Amino acid sequence: MKFKTLLMLAALVLFLALPQLITVKYYLHLCILALIWVIMAQGQNLIQGYTGYVSIVQAGFMGIGAYSSALMGSHFGLPVGMTIILAPLVTAVFALVAGYPSLRVKGHYFAIVTLAFNMVIFIVLLNFTHLTNGEAGISGIHKPGYGRGAMIDFYDRQVYYYFVLAIAVLMTTLAAVIVRSRIGQILLAIRQNEDLVASVGVAAWRYKLFAFVISAMFAGLAGALYAHYQSFINPEIFGVAQSMDAILAVIIGGSGTLTGPVIGAFFVVFLPEYLRFADSFRLILYGLILVLATIFMPRGIVGLARDLGTRFGGRK
Amino acid sequence: MTEILQQIINGIAIGGVYVLIALGLTIVFGILGIAHFAHGSVSMFGGYLTFFLAAQHGIPLALAITIALITGMVLGVLIELLAYRPVRHANHINAFIVALGLTMMVEGANLQFFGAEQIVIPTGATRVFSIGGVTLPELRLYVILAAAALIAAMTIFVEKTKTGQAIRAVAENRDAAILMGINVQMIPLVVFAISTALGVAAGVMVGSLFAIAPGVGEGLVVKGFAVLILGGLGSIPGAVVGGIVLGVTEALAAGFISSAYKDVIAFVVMIAVLLLRPQGLMGRA
Repeated sequence: MKFKTLLMLAALVLFLALPQLITVKYYLHLCILALIWVIMAQGQNLIQGYTGYVSIVQAGFMGIGAYSSALMGSHFGLPVGMTIILAPLVTAVFALVAGYPSLRVKGHYFAIVTLAFNMVIFIVLLNFTHLTNGEAGISGIHKPGYGRGAMIDFYDRQVYYYFVLAIAVLMTTLAAVIVRSRIGQILLAIRQNEDLVASVGVAAWRYKLFAFVISAMFAGLAGALYAHYQSFINPEIFGVAQSMDAILAVIIGGSGTLTGPVIGAFFVVFLPEYLRFADSFRLILYGLILVLATIFMPRGIVGLARDLGTRFGGRK
Repeated sequence: MTEILQQIINGIAIGGVYVLIALGLTIVFGILGIAHFAHGSVSMFGGYLTFFLAAQHGIPLALAITIALITGMVLGVLIELLAYRPVRHANHINAFIVALGLTMMVEGANLQFFGAEQIVIPTGATRVFSIGGVTLPELRLYVILAAAALIAAMTIFVEKTKTGQAIRAVAENRDAAILMGINVQMIPLVVFAISTALGVAAGVMVGSLFAIAPGVGEGLVVKGFAVLILGGLGSIPGAVVGGIVLGVTEALAAGFISSAYKDVIAFVVMIAVLLLRPQGLMGRA
């Protein structure tokens, strides 16, 4: 336990020092994206890793968060700080509507129904041009503190990095709190044996819906942070492929662990950069990594590290 | 009125394709309990291969389709052996994630070998029949007939032949099937061969009726699962009814409401069925 706390502190120090260590600006940009993806992956992990339901709509919810935050700012003139807080709530409403019918089916079919929802969100973002401006997207989205002569300049990349880092740490802590609570224990029990959970008189569907909506809120928040960071959004990055990235992040990192999604998020943001040399083979390689990881490393990098730890360190 | 009839006929042709995809999915799900998500991309591979052989190398269409069918069957068997078999005893989520990875791989391979341009398989069937104001292109008629023939063949195979009985036995009770001397290592391979052959047939139909392009396969497999949810899981009549309902709904939606939102409307129908009849249209409560 003590070793674990030490490791966490070391990681935190590393994250705090990172902008000072990075000389290439582009890498700082990737790190900000990766931190946004940490929030995505923590959300995905709650439904996929802990509850055992693979949801393929996370990027769609990210899109809802991104568009709602941007549109609330431009249409109602709300301050950016407020729209970032409101965006997950808007996403939650959509998640409730989507989750209720989806959770009527189990396992694979749940995955497919959520995927259909992602397609619906994508089609609407693309075709409801009156509001979303279709394929061209929305540009010129403000950063936090816009127009107030704020003391902190969010247009500075380093500042935005620390801003996103703080939220990512907060959301990871929130995920930890949920997992350790009674609700989290019930979610784990649902993953292991849903019929048994129902048989002891627990209304499993409520907890599943809770996990689904919370995971969507994580994604909505990530979307809002993304929109205000990039200042530009279009439907392209809110499609099914990105939802699969969220799944990959959880699997590669280690599903059902809190560190897993952090590692996995950095993995899915940086891996495509390093696979650039492979060009058109990239998709094939990406799929191959996913297949091989699932077959040979089903517990992810964290699981692998734990196995090595017990083998060589005798630590459990 | 003729307009409605016209859209219904269009819908039946698309519905036939959906039924074929759904049958391939349901037979795999029945035996292995996995949602074979890569099915759509593999089907499109068959369509691409047919185009490649027929249009670019001048091989007669019938021969090209036969080669594509056989290649598809081999590919299906390899997928079962190399990707799904290793995760058979793991959590079911793992098999699904393997399926997602396979989808990426096959989509990537399609892109690599056949390019990003959309392709249409040339069939030469260009005549158009007209029956009381309703037009029926020759090609659409062939697609409907071929789909019907394949559905009938598949039903007879599963219901009447010895292998078909063995497949049903494994789906019903794997352990009892082993005791009866059924080779349960062999059955999944047969199932994947049949499933992929049906998929390739559907891929050829999509390629000649509409067009094949990157992403079409993924859309199609989702429709296939929607058909299963509509019709009721694991039921062949359910898949047939579900497929035609989905195809006709889509055609009517495209014709009378909005073609951009036709997929949305199709999914809304699926979700409505989930809410009102979770066991599906033909499923038993």
